[in-house]
Amino acid sequence: MTRQTVPKMNIAPQPARRTESFWSRVIRQRQLIFMSFPMLLYVLVFAYAPIWGWLMAFQSYKPGFSITNQTWVGLDQFRFLFLDEGFTRVLRNTIAMSLISLILGFVTAIGLALLMNEIKKTGIKRLIQTISYLPHFLSWVIVTGLVSMALSTEGGIINDVLMKLHIIKEPILWLGEGKYFWGIVGMTNVWKEVGWNTIIYLAAIASVDPSLYEAAEVDGAGRFRKIWNVTLPGIRPVIVILLIMNVGWILNGGGFDIQYFLGNGQVLDWSETIDIFVLKYGLRIGNYSLGVAAGIFKTVVSIVLLYCANTIAKRLGEERLI
Amino acid sequence: MGVRARKTALGLLMLILAFSVVASACSKSSNNESSSTSPSASGSSPAASPSESGSPEATVEPLTISLFTAATGPIPTDDNKIYKEIKEQLGVTLKEEYLVGDIEQKLGVMIAGGDYPDMITANAKLTAAKAVIPLEDLIEQHAPNLKKHYGKVWEQLKDPDDGHIYWMPNYGVYQGDFSSTEYYGPAFFIQKAVLKEFGYPKFKTLDEYFKLIEDYAAKYPEIDGQPTIGFTALAFDWRDWGLRNAPQHLAGHPNDGGVLVDPVTNVATLYSATDTAKPYYKKLNDINAKGLMDKEAFAQNYDQFLAKVSSGRVLGMFEQRWNFGQAHDSLVSQGKFERTYVGFPLVYDMNTTDYYLDRPPINLMNGFGITVNAEDPVKIIKFIDTMLSEKWQKRLSWGEEGVDYLVGDNGLYYRTPEMRTQQEDVTWKQKFKAESLWGYLPKLEGKYPDGNADGAANQPDEFFANLKDIDKEVLSAYDRKTWTEFFSVPPDNRVSYPAWNIDLIEGSPAKVANQKMKDLDFKLLPRAILSKPENFESVWNDYVTQMGKVDTKAYLDRVNEQLKWRVENWTSK
Repeated sequence: MTRQTVPKMNIAPQPARRTESFWSRVIRQRQLIFMSFPMLLYVLVFAYAPIWGWLMAFQSYKPGFSITNQTWVGLDQFRFLFLDEGFTRVLRNTIAMSLISLILGFVTAIGLALLMNEIKKTGIKRLIQTISYLPHFLSWVIVTGLVSMALSTEGGIINDVLMKLHIIKEPILWLGEGKYFWGIVGMTNVWKEVGWNTIIYLAAIASVDPSLYEAAEVDGAGRFRKIWNVTLPGIRPVIVILLIMNVGWILNGGGFDIQYFLGNGQVLDWSETIDIFVLKYGLRIGNYSLGVAAGIFKTVVSIVLLYCANTIAKRLGEERLI
Repeated sequence: MGVRARKTALGLLMLILAFSVVASACSKSSNNESSSTSPSASGSSPAASPSESGSPEATVEPLTISLFTAATGPIPTDDNKIYKEIKEQLGVTLKEEYLVGDIEQKLGVMIAGGDYPDMITANAKLTAAKAVIPLEDLIEQHAPNLKKHYGKVWEQLKDPDDGHIYWMPNYGVYQGDFSSTEYYGPAFFIQKAVLKEFGYPKFKTLDEYFKLIEDYAAKYPEIDGQPTIGFTALAFDWRDWGLRNAPQHLAGHPNDGGVLVDPVTNVATLYSATDTAKPYYKKLNDINAKGLMDKEAFAQNYDQFLAKVSSGRVLGMFEQRWNFGQAHDSLVSQGKFERTYVGFPLVYDMNTTDYYLDRPPINLMNGFGITVNAEDPVKIIKFIDTMLSEKWQKRLSWGEEGVDYLVGDNGLYYRTPEMRTQQEDVTWKQKFKAESLWGYLPKLEGKYPDGNADGAANQPDEFFANLKDIDKEVLSAYDRKTWTEFFSVPPDNRVSYPAWNIDLIEGSPAKVANQKMKDLDFKLLPRAILSKPENFESVWNDYVTQMGKVDTKAYLDRVNEQLKWRVENWTSK
């Protein structure tokens, strides 16, 4: 194998000739194609092959029997999902919590990254960065445990502080009132992920050309001017790409674990997301088909949203994913 | 340059390929390993005949049994003595997995993956998914002890749909008449300290009960430095009775789950969102206005509930005694005897006879089954059969002779005071008892042939000797001998009793309706209870309206159909 004659290779990139046929291009790029094979295989096996399981959505699937040996029910599962009186509420919760988490997540992460970029002492900068991203490594069970302890009416720190400051007269049952739930989810997400999310922005900021800052300084720009006119435009492509990618997750409700662990009967109207609804009426009572139907719904919506975001970005002349 | 680049690329590729091959090979081989251990370890002789029932332990061979229990604990330590003995004497290694989180969900995932252990605790989901194997032939051919044990209730064990036996119920099969001293069922529990404070008053109604709690809480706003909680109730996952079940008992009915069943016509009706239930929740609303209701009751999970009760500052609750057993044990091992509870059978009005205590029905849809993944069901059934032998029953229940109990001159077992204290130590139990396993295994209940009771708690002499001073005081003040005597003597069970263990069938409209009813209860009952008194009516009306929209008929139809089926098939002819 090593003794093969080596074809001439052009190291420098060469504009593809129009006349070049498809096959000759394939041959020229064979190494790249060959290298992408494992990934392609991975995607085919783990992302495309299981799609045949979508058949289950049109059946009343009973475990223990083969998929060909099931009762076909047409669109009954979708009808159950969409016509349930709770569905609009569940959809509202999902989207609301997603948007809250998305917007809060972006604003806080970018804000923190900008602030940290202004710190000149590396030691302090590192310290803040480390402390702020540590919660990312805690599992949701622990985080929600901490949150419910902090929000408790009996010696929870939030209620204690608010009482000491005479802002409230008696402890508030934070986790027992639906109207607080979205906010709690948003804030918890921020607390856990803000440090982690800044990493990518800090990296992007680091790649901004320093001469731009110098030029701005010569023009008499202060710190805020420089942030506004140099740093932010510099990381705009990264922001847009991340935004497009996150839009696809909008039907996930900003994570499943948090609503699952923090939610309880009293706040059901605000805490129940599509995933939890499916868990209750699908998995828990043995109706697996409903879960598949909801999965299809979520996938379709995600793909549509992703393309929309991508197209909008394209129209606005921004970076885009596809 | 070109050559080297290509070589590196190729090398990298080979590395990736090699790695993926190794990785896949690894995962495969480990699979094989785990599944093949049991046959190869036992390998040679399936010869030892099943008929040697005289010395049953001889029939079980080296074997690893994996099992999942719906219990969350107590989880035995690795060097637990009983498990060690099982391994040494029977050659059986038990690989246990305990529940973390939500049982329905855990099983849902297990079923979706087809990833079952060898033995598993009962659930309707598993039967519906054909995850467990029929046991009747196995029991008939290989398990003489089990056959004898379940002889009387054989027909009731059979699944109403296909007539197979899938589960071996853990409780409810008695040798002779039932007699119990400790009460494990549902009741309105109240701390012994509260009773003592007010000179052991007699009471039967909710008003009297909450009056005691109110007075005590007013007198002692803090217990051990923490605020006193008047009344709590648990509404978490499948443990929903704390919130949902009280009205049926207050109305004088036994525990049928979500329905009231007319004992004569055998027809079930709903009580939630009816006038049967309303006075109870109105009362809870009242006590909430007085600051006695635990505001976090409906936001707590099971662990938080146990921790709260263990702290000794909860004065009262509606619960089933077995459900807070861990908290009771913890209170005892902390020495807070006066903070443990007595159950009272409260009723709406004085003329109603309470029906909290029931004659133990066979505990259907409970206990262990064997899954389709079990390599050698015969060996497993023989193991369970061996565990049902008197020797092992005593080992698991009483303990070890000379260590956990002594034999008196009259042949009756007893414990020394030191032994008794030891039995109350929670950490000791993890090392020397197998309570979770024991809880789900089939049991000889009542009395052993030698006259000893099925466990120390039910041995009359032991029971009395184990009473703390406060217990003796309570019992003598109320002129009772045992905790069960606080309840009326139950009539004979209805043939179709109890309705709560009816299989609603996975994914059926009945099951969906059941889930919806539960969701509504979990959502709106707490809201009704915690609302301002003037808003109670409007929340309640909203609750009734929403309940009206649920397909409760589907649920009732299934329950009634099964009740009828039971009468037809279970009535002794």
